Amino acid sequence: MAKQQEESNSNPAAAAAGDWENFRDDDIMLQHSAIRAEQADKIPFLGDKEPLSALAAEYQSGSSILLEKIKILDEKYSAIRRTRGDGNCFFRSFMFSYLEHILETQDKAEVDRVKANVEECRKTLQSLGYADFTFEDFFGLFLEQLENVIQGTDASISHDELVERSRDQSISDYVVMFFRFITSGEIRKRAEFFEPFILGLNNATVDQFCKSSVEPMGEESDHVHIIALSDALGVPVRVVYLDRSSCDTGGVSVNHHDFVPSALSSGGSGLEINPYITLLYRPGHYDILYPK
Amino acid sequence: MAAMNGGYSDNTPAADPAGPPAKQNVAPAKTVDTQSVLKRLQSELMSLMMSGDPGISAFPEEDNIFNWKGTIHGSKETVFEGTEYKLSLSFPADYPFKPPKVKFETGCFHPNVDVFGNICLDILQDKWSSAYDVRTILLSIQSLLGEPNTSSPLNTQAAALWSNQEEYRKMVEKLYNKPAA
Repeated sequence: MAKQQEESNSNPAAAAAGDWENFRDDDIMLQHSAIRAEQADKIPFLGDKEPLSALAAEYQSGSSILLEKIKILDEKYSAIRRTRGDGNCFFRSFMFSYLEHILETQDKAEVDRVKANVEECRKTLQSLGYADFTFEDFFGLFLEQLENVIQGTDASISHDELVERSRDQSISDYVVMFFRFITSGEIRKRAEFFEPFILGLNNATVDQFCKSSVEPMGEESDHVHIIALSDALGVPVRVVYLDRSSCDTGGVSVNHHDFVPSALSSGGSGLEINPYITLLYRPGHYDILYPK
Repeated sequence: MAAMNGGYSDNTPAADPAGPPAKQNVAPAKTVDTQSVLKRLQSELMSLMMSGDPGISAFPEEDNIFNWKGTIHGSKETVFEGTEYKLSLSFPADYPFKPPKVKFETGCFHPNVDVFGNICLDILQDKWSSAYDVRTILLSIQSLLGEPNTSSPLNTQAAALWSNQEEYRKMVEKLYNKPAA
C-alpha cells in the first residue's frame, strides 16, 4: 500500500504542481535508491578470488568459534569468491562456478549431458503450461554461455571474459532467471516430493511457494531450491556451513552437506562424489569456495 | 522505485545503432536490449490473441508497443458481473524483469483499487516475476475483482462494505460508468 502511494506521488504532474510534500517523498526515494546503488557498487555481482585470510579479517574482533572454523576451512580450501547479497547470490554463485568448471575442464561430455537435462526442463515447463516466450530467452542466453566457455570457436570466451560477463547485470540476471525457471519447474513436477519440505519451511502450497519464493528475482534460496536445481540439472553441489554452532564435546568442526542429484545417488554405490560447485553458506548468504 | 525522471531507459543499455559489433567476443553477444523486449511483447500479443480467454483482452496503442490498453469483464456470479473496465499497461524498458505499470482507466469501486485507478496486487509489485505475462496479469486482476484482499485496502469504504454483497452490488451499479467503446 505504501508502495502505491509512493508511485502516485512520483507522478511528474503532481510534482510540477508544486506540491512540496511530494517533492520530499521523491527526494527520499531518490536518496534510497542512491544508497542502494552505492552499496551495490561496493560488492559486484561477482567479486575477485580472495584468500581465506580475507574472510578471517571480517571476524577479527568477533566470535572465536568462527575464527577457528575459518582455520579449519583454510586446510581444505584455498580461496573464496564473494557474490552480491541481493537474494540471488545462490544462483549467481552456481552460474559462475559451473561455467568456470566447464571452462577449466573443457568437459564436452558434461556439456552434452547438461544440455539434455536443460531440454528436459524445457519440456517440463511446457507441460506445466508455461508459455514458451516467458522462458525461452533465458534458456537461450544460458545455453549460449555454456557454448562460449568451450574453446576453439569464434565465440569462445576467456576466463577474464567469463568474469566480466558474470558481472554484467543483463547477462547475470538472465541466467539467474533461467535457474529460477528450472528450479520452479522441478519443484512443480515433483510437487508430492517437495510438498512436505515446503510446508515445513513457510506453510505454503507448492504453487504459492514457486510463485512467491522461487520465480521472483531477489527471493533467497533455501535447501528446497538447491535440491531442485541440483536434481534438475544433475549437478552435485557442496555447501559448507560457517555459523556459530559448535559440538557439545568441545571440538570445533565445520559441517558441510552434499546435494547429490537423485539420478546420481540412486546408483547407490557409496561412490565418493566430487562436486563441481562448492559454496560457503553464512546465514542468509552464499559465496563460492575453491578447494585446494 | 518508479521513474521520477519520466524515463525507464537508464537501466538498460541502449541498442547499438552502429550495427553489429566488430568481433563477437568483444561485446557480450546477447544482452537485454530493446529488441528482446519488443520480441517478447509481440509474442505476448500473439499468444493473447490466440488464447481467446473470455472476458479479457488487450492491444498495444497505435504507435507504441510499450503502452497497451486492456479490458476486463467482471466475472459471473460476482458483484462485478456485467461490468467492463478499461486498463492501461505501460511496460518498462527492462521488462520482463520489472512489471508493467497497470492502472484502471475506468473507475472501479474495489477494496484494492484507489481513486486514481492504482491497483494493489502483489504480482504487480514485489512478487512480480518474468513468468507472468499480459494474459496472466489480466486474469489475476479479473479474479482480484471477485476475491479482494480486505485486510490492507486502498479503498477502506469498499473494504468495509464488502461483507454486505447486496449493498456492494448496488454501489457498483451506482458508481459504474460504462467505458466508451
